[in-house]
Amino acid sequence: MRKPVYIKTAEQISIQRPLCEEWIEAPVIYDVKYTRSLDPDFKQFLSPIEARRMGKILKRALATSLRAIEKSGIQQPQAIITGTGLGCIENTELFLDALCREGEEFLKPTHFMQSTHNTISSLLAIHTKTRSYNVTYAHKGISFDSALYDAWMQFMLGKIGSALVGGHDEMTPSYFTLLQKAGYLGTRNMVVAGEAAVSVMLTTEKENAMCEIAAIRMLYRPTAERIGKTIERMLAESNIQREDIAAIVTGVNGNKENDIMYSRIIETARIEAPCMRYKHIFGESYTASGLGLYAAAHCIARQQLPQHMIYEGECRTGVINAILLINHSDGKTVTFTLIKNTKH
Amino acid sequence: MPDRPILITGAGIVSSIGNDKQGVLSSLLEERSGIAPIEYLKTGHKEFPVGEVKLSDKEMAAMLGIPDGTPTTRTSLMGMLALKEALDQASLDSSDLPEVGFISGTTVGGMDMSEQFYLDFLSNDTKNEYIKTHDCGACTEMIADHFGTFGFITTISTACSSAANAVILGANAIKNGLAEIVVVGGSECITKFHLNGFNSLMILDKENCRPFCDTRAGLNLGEGAAYIVLESLESAQRRGVQSMAELKGYGNACDAFHQTASSPDGEGAYMAMKEAIEMAGISPAEIGYINAHGTGTPNNDHSESQAMKRLFAGKLPPVSSTKSFTGHTTSASGSIELAICLLALQNGFLPGNPNWKKEADGVIVPITGTLHNVKVKNILCNSFGFGGNDSSLLISKWERV
Repeated sequence: MRKPVYIKTAEQISIQRPLCEEWIEAPVIYDVKYTRSLDPDFKQFLSPIEARRMGKILKRALATSLRAIEKSGIQQPQAIITGTGLGCIENTELFLDALCREGEEFLKPTHFMQSTHNTISSLLAIHTKTRSYNVTYAHKGISFDSALYDAWMQFMLGKIGSALVGGHDEMTPSYFTLLQKAGYLGTRNMVVAGEAAVSVMLTTEKENAMCEIAAIRMLYRPTAERIGKTIERMLAESNIQREDIAAIVTGVNGNKENDIMYSRIIETARIEAPCMRYKHIFGESYTASGLGLYAAAHCIARQQLPQHMIYEGECRTGVINAILLINHSDGKTVTFTLIKNTKH
Repeated sequence: MPDRPILITGAGIVSSIGNDKQGVLSSLLEERSGIAPIEYLKTGHKEFPVGEVKLSDKEMAAMLGIPDGTPTTRTSLMGMLALKEALDQASLDSSDLPEVGFISGTTVGGMDMSEQFYLDFLSNDTKNEYIKTHDCGACTEMIADHFGTFGFITTISTACSSAANAVILGANAIKNGLAEIVVVGGSECITKFHLNGFNSLMILDKENCRPFCDTRAGLNLGEGAAYIVLESLESAQRRGVQSMAELKGYGNACDAFHQTASSPDGEGAYMAMKEAIEMAGISPAEIGYINAHGTGTPNNDHSESQAMKRLFAGKLPPVSSTKSFTGHTTSASGSIELAICLLALQNGFLPGNPNWKKEADGVIVPITGTLHNVKVKNILCNSFGFGGNDSSLLISKWERV
């Protein structure tokens, strides 16, 4: 029989206060279209020389990862899997800008060397001397979900006993402007565009775990029938009843087209539970779904659903047995993640 | 869960040595390299030979029936051509796709358009439709959407091992019973961005590349796409499709040494190959051919050589790097070279490593000319990426039980 997979620790650096859960009681509220992460003091994780060589995305990834590893009590993960929608976009832009403005004559390798998407996972491996499985996903809003899915499949196959899974995206002012032009970010009524750094440690050890990852599925342009069947399968294989689901966590962000898609999916899934959001406090970014899982894991671990997260329906009293996370990207890729209470 | 054999029931390839399997096969058998002076990429660096796909974007769009003016990228166009050939061979049409997964590897994604229009994006707003085609995921979706609706899709970006890692994820999904068929691979066009990036790292050769040769001085960039149809045995039997080979093993490890260089002892490469062989349940002695990563850079070839020497302990099977035919097709190299290995396995030959002249200290000696009439059972195919993302795939002749 397969061993269950647990989230042992989950850490974030985002537009909320870093490396802590202050957002539960007192979230930082923004009234702007775009803002950058609230960074911690990186000195506790990196020497000044190391820090100088690294872009923001790398420093944050290292800080959340090292904290998640340290708190988990696991010496070294057996896999490092990262999701990032745009990769190291700051360095990519610097190299691209120089190429476009100054031509091909005098380009230096510094920015190019840290421009690939897998720079993050690679840095984490070098820093933690982890030579095991190492992969990076870059698929829009399901980049983090893909990384989680990969890890989960390997746990199911018994290939690994622990994994560091991350979701990391930075957003530069200039790239925000471009994505605003494309209608991805900063549209009318949309939540603030932010940045995300999330690291979760997964393990097969139940002790002190936050929650269990019961099932994950990824779909592409699914029909209603396919969504219905997928939910049935997930519930059946994880031994969860519809009424065990205490909340549905969605990626609603104020953009009408985006939000309608969630309503449609929930209707099809036929689950009656209060709907919770997280992008109103963590902002929108390609790997925001990682912050969704992070938030849901903390909710289930603390047995608490913050009122400010609930946007539809009412909380039932009693034990929070399970939470269903729904994520979609442009209404095309759809993912479901079902997490449950370790005591259930 | 009982172990599920994974068969390869289709393959499609577009590269500088041919726009389909037949073209690639002829080039390999006749030892025709695709490396030539730059023709399609608009760059000032004419001093570097490259392995370009010998089709313009316009020609590819026309072959695919894509109307003029549709925003596409070179990476997605090459991907569509390769995917079409793979789906056709596996007898998959749009009605099958909702049950089929699609996993594609790329790193530059839509950079070919971004580098042309970036300044325009910032100030003119006449090319904004290409902002949406920039990211890696957009590239995968464009390729997928040309054929219908796949069941699930995602994108891997581990630089030059991206396509190999797509193979691994697809295989794991089948082994888990989460899918019966997954199409995997990668696509990548040459861009000014990474041509200049590699140039700034001083790893491009101004002459045709010479993997494993004492005089090797760097790599030649290539481009292309290849997709492989992975299918469970049950599904292949039910559909009555022919199998080209079995994907018997795979390994992924991280060198954890440097962002852009390989370790002197090739530890990551060693671990990846070892894992693949162990998973296949065979001994290193049973490997009949290794398609090496063999980029032609002094660093990679030396590092990979150490790993191979250690693992095969004096009994090294024939090794070659087909990058001297195709150029280094970066994110697509994993599936392009796997497709080449499939052709070798099926047609009983081993592709050579042209341009190799002189043995180098501490470096393995590859086969140079194409070896004809060689029947092997197991082939190992290496792909190593920036950041030490090392993967190795093992295919075997499928013998019906």
